[in-house]
Amino acid sequence: MSPQYWEDVKIGARRELGDYVFTEEEIIRFGRKYDPQPFHIDPKAAKDSLFGGLIASGWHTAAVWMKLVVADRARGDGEPQELRAGVSPGFEDMQWLKPVRPGVRLFFSTEVTAKRELGSRPEFGLVYTRNEARLQSGEVVFRFTGKGFVQRRPKS
Amino acid sequence: MSARLHFEDFAIGRKFDCGPYCVTREEILEFAREFDPQPHHLDEEAAKRSMLGGLAASGWHVCAMTMRMFADSLLPLAEARGGIGAPEARWIKPVRPGDVLRVEAEVVSLKPSRTKPIGFVTFSCKVLNQREQAALIVMTPIIARREAP
Repeated sequence: MSPQYWEDVKIGARRELGDYVFTEEEIIRFGRKYDPQPFHIDPKAAKDSLFGGLIASGWHTAAVWMKLVVADRARGDGEPQELRAGVSPGFEDMQWLKPVRPGVRLFFSTEVTAKRELGSRPEFGLVYTRNEARLQSGEVVFRFTGKGFVQRRPKS
Repeated sequence: MSARLHFEDFAIGRKFDCGPYCVTREEILEFAREFDPQPHHLDEEAAKRSMLGGLAASGWHVCAMTMRMFADSLLPLAEARGGIGAPEARWIKPVRPGDVLRVEAEVVSLKPSRTKPIGFVTFSCKVLNQREQAALIVMTPIIARREAP
């Protein structure tokens, strides 16, 4: 399969991006660098916090979602699942619903929910995605609506 | 008790300055290798051909840097208890090696909890580069403690 154009992207198309376990070490490493609140960097102080223990920064969870998306595009199923993807203009409705604790396995997914043409950039279209991380039980712990530019099929 | 800001101390329109943050090529590459290994975040030539027009930080990296400025400058002032998400974010300009970022965080909404002694304070964080161009605007609600009755 060759890389998909915006025209090829189907609403409802869903990818399971794989699972991921955050370790205490990487939660603390990310927290020290980007989000040094006690409950992200200090297991003892985290016990006394609202969260009752060490948890990952919500931005760390978002970054891992991105990591799994890039890995999924590169993996394909024998064939590259590559989109002719550009960059993203932003996102909406990011919710950190439940704390992400070390050692817990999260399952990430992305699903196309809508497409939009762009008056200002006719060579690209916009694709909206619903993105989630769930526990084994199915409970959603992280969610947001993504937006991405994808190349339009050149007019011949 | 401390004189730190409680939910009641925040007023809509109040602004806080956070930062600065100096963006290095090494850090852009390090973050991209771990979390966003797309060519336009890793390779100068590929980045030139992309929509970014040159090497630029992952948007998630810009969010993370913004969080760091917010955590260093604003959170120590407040009786804050973490965030709950980001209702909206717009990546407006690429962030490049050598950029120096700062954040203007403005209170845009206040919502007390009905059941707990806390409230939600939402900031609109405008991330500006050294040319005063907005690179990112992100909404970030935080949990703030209410004053003891």
